[in-house]
Amino acid sequence: MLEPLLGSTNAERVLVFILTRNEGYVREIARVLGGDPDSIQKQLAKFESGGVLVSRTAGKTRLYSFNPRYPFLKELRGLLEKAVSFYPESQREALLMNRRRPRRRGKPL
Amino acid sequence: MKAIRDMSTGELAAFICSHLKKYEIDVVLSGGSCVSIYSNNKYVSSDLDFVDNQYFIRGAKVRDALSEIGFYEENRYFKNSETDLLIEFPPGPLSVGEEAVKEVAILKYTTGELRIISPTDCVKDRLASYYHFDDRQCLEQAILVARDNKVDLAEVERWSSHEGKPDKFAEFKRLFEKRKT
Repeated sequence: MLEPLLGSTNAERVLVFILTRNEGYVREIARVLGGDPDSIQKQLAKFESGGVLVSRTAGKTRLYSFNPRYPFLKELRGLLEKAVSFYPESQREALLMNRRRPRRRGKPL
Repeated sequence: MKAIRDMSTGELAAFICSHLKKYEIDVVLSGGSCVSIYSNNKYVSSDLDFVDNQYFIRGAKVRDALSEIGFYEENRYFKNSETDLLIEFPPGPLSVGEEAVKEVAILKYTTGELRIISPTDCVKDRLASYYHFDDRQCLEQAILVARDNKVDLAEVERWSSHEGKPDKFAEFKRLFEKRKT
């Protein structure tokens, strides 16, 4: 949807994912929204070097989130929110309806 | 002209800034090295962050200009065998939080003229990291700069409210007042 502006579908995938989940890592983004993990990784690195995203590590996983110091963040969020409102219901649910509350280790599903 | 190995942080930054200016590359020093300069090295930064103020300068032009004074590129940083300081060009625009930096200060050294964010913007820049990443080191750096320089605290307060962080500004001001004397 924003591909003409952002230059690639992966760029949109990455930003929309982070908008809806607050943070994400390569394999998770690729699993939920599709796309090749290597290409998603390159896109994340590009946004990080451009100051749009920041990253931190948790164990061996690198987690990406929006850079709160990015000067166009409010406007970018607005644009992405509008794009998400045009997404089909199934895709919106896949992005938004994930379990976020803690799950004790060993607890049966 | 002093050798690069003998230059202070400010002198080296001024030398690089003036050298790039000859090639019509307009950069402004931002980030931690401004704290070094404004605090007389009470805090030492390991890199010089220059923000390109024109936005559309080609990397090759910067590389060519810097190679003339002995800097070579490695992993997005520029290095020189005579100094441990690294040069980086973080992405623009020149901003503190959501707002553009409107006024740039000029410091004169024997090695050249340095275009640098003002002490007030330097305090905002450090506070932005404290506000958004809870970085206490940056809070300390903001206090150092505010203590040693003329800083417009009313402007910092206005900006802090705009960033949605009046409570954290109050904490900064409390510590600043405590350490001022």
